[in-house]
Amino acid sequence: MSGKDVNPGDFPLALWPPSASTEAVQSDHLILGFTVLTLLLTVPIFLAIAWFAVHFRAGKDVHREYSDKRNRLLEVSWMLVPFLLTLIFFYWGAKLFDIHKHPPADALRIEAIGRQWMWKFQHPGGQAEINDLHVPSGEPVMINMISQDVIHSLYLPALRVQMETLPGRYTQLWFTANRTGTFRLYCSEYCGTDHSRMGGLLTIMSPADYAQWLRQSGTSISLASQGRALFSSYGCSGCHGAGSAVRAPSLAGLYGSPVPMLAGGTVVADSGYIHDKILDPDRNLIAGYKQVMPAFKGVIPEDRIVLLTAYIKSLSPAGQDTQPGQAGPERTP
Amino acid sequence: MTPPPDSLIGTIETALREPHPGRITIDREPDYLHDEHTLWSWLTTTDHKRIGILYLLSITAFFIVGAFAAGLIRLSLVVPNGQIFSNDTYNKLFTIHGVVMIWFFLIPSIPATFGNFIMPIMIGAKDVAFPRLNRTSWYIFVSASLFTLFTVVAGGVDTGWTFYAPFSTTFSNTWVVPALIGVIVVGFSSILTGLNFIVTIHTMRAPGMTWFRMPIFVWTMYAVSLIFLLATPVITMALILLVMERVFHIGVFDPALGGDPVLFEHLFWFYSHPAVYIMVLPGMGVISEIVPVFSQKRLFGYRFVAYASIGLASLTFFVWGHHMFVNGESETSALVFSVLSFAVAVPSAVKVYNWTATIYKGTLRLDTPMLYAMGYIGLFVVGGLTGLFLATLAIDEHVHDTYFVVAHFHYIMVGGTALAFLGGLHYWWPKFTGRLYPEAWGRLSAFLIFIGFNATFAPQFVLGYLGMPRRYHNYPPEFQLLNILSSSGSLVLALGYVFPMVYLGWSLRYGAKAPPNPWNAKGLEWTTASPPPKHNFETPPTVDFPPYDYRRRETRV
Amino acid sequence: MSAAAAQAPAGIAEVGIEREEHFTTDGQQVHAARFGMWCWLLTELLLFAGLFLCALIIRIMHPASVTATTTHLKFWIGATNTAVLIVSSFTMSGAIELSRIGWQRGTVRFMLATAALGTLFLVLKGYEYYQDFDEHMMPFLHGRRYALAQDPSTILFTDLYYVTTGLHGLHLTTGVSILLVMAWMASRPGFLQRHQNRIEIFGLYWHFIDLVWIIVFPVLYVLNR
Repeated sequence: MSGKDVNPGDFPLALWPPSASTEAVQSDHLILGFTVLTLLLTVPIFLAIAWFAVHFRAGKDVHREYSDKRNRLLEVSWMLVPFLLTLIFFYWGAKLFDIHKHPPADALRIEAIGRQWMWKFQHPGGQAEINDLHVPSGEPVMINMISQDVIHSLYLPALRVQMETLPGRYTQLWFTANRTGTFRLYCSEYCGTDHSRMGGLLTIMSPADYAQWLRQSGTSISLASQGRALFSSYGCSGCHGAGSAVRAPSLAGLYGSPVPMLAGGTVVADSGYIHDKILDPDRNLIAGYKQVMPAFKGVIPEDRIVLLTAYIKSLSPAGQDTQPGQAGPERTP
Repeated sequence: MTPPPDSLIGTIETALREPHPGRITIDREPDYLHDEHTLWSWLTTTDHKRIGILYLLSITAFFIVGAFAAGLIRLSLVVPNGQIFSNDTYNKLFTIHGVVMIWFFLIPSIPATFGNFIMPIMIGAKDVAFPRLNRTSWYIFVSASLFTLFTVVAGGVDTGWTFYAPFSTTFSNTWVVPALIGVIVVGFSSILTGLNFIVTIHTMRAPGMTWFRMPIFVWTMYAVSLIFLLATPVITMALILLVMERVFHIGVFDPALGGDPVLFEHLFWFYSHPAVYIMVLPGMGVISEIVPVFSQKRLFGYRFVAYASIGLASLTFFVWGHHMFVNGESETSALVFSVLSFAVAVPSAVKVYNWTATIYKGTLRLDTPMLYAMGYIGLFVVGGLTGLFLATLAIDEHVHDTYFVVAHFHYIMVGGTALAFLGGLHYWWPKFTGRLYPEAWGRLSAFLIFIGFNATFAPQFVLGYLGMPRRYHNYPPEFQLLNILSSSGSLVLALGYVFPMVYLGWSLRYGAKAPPNPWNAKGLEWTTASPPPKHNFETPPTVDFPPYDYRRRETRV
Repeated sequence: MSAAAAQAPAGIAEVGIEREEHFTTDGQQVHAARFGMWCWLLTELLLFAGLFLCALIIRIMHPASVTATTTHLKFWIGATNTAVLIVSSFTMSGAIELSRIGWQRGTVRFMLATAALGTLFLVLKGYEYYQDFDEHMMPFLHGRRYALAQDPSTILFTDLYYVTTGLHGLHLTTGVSILLVMAWMASRPGFLQRHQNRIEIFGLYWHFIDLVWIIVFPVLYVLNR
């Protein structure tokens, strides 16, 4: 089932999910290998139980003498050997998990916002889509996500990955698709009334098709430019803008640089930091400035925070180097 | 002492020919069922056996409610686009199913019924240490669970049994607070039962009943009571904070105020993972009783199995994080929780190997309890090993919160706990009621349940791996065939549940009278009459033999 | 009556317990009752441990806000209350010792003194709550002008303070009520002969309430002050 004209719903009965990345294939190998091991460990036991049940039935005259001598070595080994064998799969699974946790620095960055009950995806060039997601194949894609309300979870079965979307905190997920096609995407963490409708289609396209799709879909204003407009409409530029009378920290070069804290120590200004600072500036006061900024909690929704962050990011060399819109792996506090 | 007849016809024939086999002579103390007859005497009883029966009746009622909700869920999932029920109704249905089955059936199932009835007799005690407290805990259980049942059925709650914040605190518009209060109060019934059992096992053992002469069932009751005592208060606190959060908006779980919703998940799973072992360990205890009896052979590796019970109860406190691999847990803690979860497999495997070794060279009778026990071993192994799959980080990243998880924990909880419960119910039925149940019907329903269960839940493993998320009311059309298969399996399963209710009820009146020891078993509970007298033993027993003492073959009939 | 009894001060009674029918010996019953109370206290400790854990996590997440809250709490009322509870533990021990020798009147008086100290604690706590109420620090008054409003994260620790002290206060109220009922029963003849060990068991609970407060006080009022 290759080719992008195939719809996921075309098959009345599916028995194995399509896979769209090398890691997904590895996940399949992992579970198949583990299944083989567990069959090797359990089928003999099941057969033994069945055979004993037949052979040693009451009334049958069979040899039942046994000695009370215990073979400790045997007992310990039948506990430990299977355990050590399963640890191979622990290691394998952990290695794959480790890859999933560390996106490459040059990944294409897509912002995702979960809310009851829809997904909003924002591409670096400013194209936004609801529920459906278009990504290019053959290059790493990192989805940076946050929730507007309750906990959701972005689940891409074809890539064998999911990650919860938490309110107030960014989480990431990344993959490199190795084929094109249309697959499903879901919200897998129960989030209320229309939980089961919170999903859509994941379309993996060749890079050329993706570029074409980006051109065709709506806005051509990049996230950073949209953010700049918001920066003035929310009045941020009144204080943070160049030549402002208020002594507010300049945001040029902020992204990715360490910020000295009032309480001592420094914090690297990543998107999680900028998110928290906009919504709740009273927390984690920075050194050298009086805290006068109003909190924007409940004023600016998450998708606009993403735009503002993109704008602030574009003001710093760290952000510009990887434009449009990419950044390295992020650690949120 | 006649062995139990093999068929329904045989039972009836025996009953006709010999209307009162093993009739108890008139000068004995009346048994606990016939001591007093009024309803009032049951409601004010402090007899652990009667309280066990009260629990049995109440959890059966809750099981019927939970199973009915499950049936409606399976009915709704026959069609992919959710036309049968509205989305809110569906969400309330699975909340009813989860809350009722977990808190009002699975957690009290074996400890509160068999634990109350059999455990004190097994250690040769006259009663539990605190009989009035025992009655109080039943009243707490019944009133709080009826209250919760009323809120989830009449009002409806749509959070699922997991009550994750901030959905439950801020966004749900349903009766969350009363449901939470009900669940909090039910927790106290668990705590009091656990406390009672621990004190009973420590202080009430008969002369000569040393720790390593206790049957494994008593060991598992001890392990479970430890979990009741140590884990339940933590969920009580977590749910109290949830109520406070919803009513006063105190902010601990609210990111807008600087709180952390993941903290609730941690507190919740710190109880709810051990709660899995509240359900599993007693099942293991029941199976460890049944397998030696129907093999007429000493339990293999008794001490290992006893240590494994305590080992499981301890290890289970250190693996809660495996429910949260993709919930914003750090990579380091994910690794640690993953490897610790693998370690849980060791004591579980000990038990399975030792049951198998017990059967080897035994003298097997495949009566109903043994059929349930063998079914249990099979399903528990499948459930346990798919648990290892889920503990593997990269696999969990794919199948977390899908039907794979649903299938896995049903294999543990239905395939494990419910089968062990039914097996134990059949095994101790003669002791509870003084009657024998019709064996042929017992075997038939054991087969039905095994087949129906697998038909219901095996397709869900496939569904989960295909990527169908749990708690989905609408699902993509390509999953429909497997869902129909699962729903049809649930019909067979339901039939298998109805049969025992009917023939066990029938046997109360028409079943053959049971002798004191119909299975030729060795526990202390089989040395007293069936049903036992009010104070359990005619003369207080003294123990001078090891558990599962089947080597003395000359005592065999 | 023997000479020993004649020499004893007036009001000294024989001490013992009334055995319930399911126990074989008195010792078994005493052991079971005491062990049961210890188990209950263990479960109670874990109940409070959940709150202490939350307090720790809030401290880690918002150190500055927690410091602001701690300094704002009425330290001296808390400190006085700590002293009051410690003294009440002494009077409770006194009641237990006197009940062991069977001096009924002394036992009752010491129990009443303990209950009075417990009530004093509750009164002081109530006064503290009243002051907090004035400052709109109560969870349901967050809409009003709140003393620490410049830092919203202080709400977290303040509210945890209410949950913790509220739960402790609930335990103490229960304790005082049981103590009053028990003091009344102990003032009637024959109580010590039949139920002396109830006083000992209750003593464990009372000391536990004291102990919890001794953890609560530094966790909420003192650390990072």
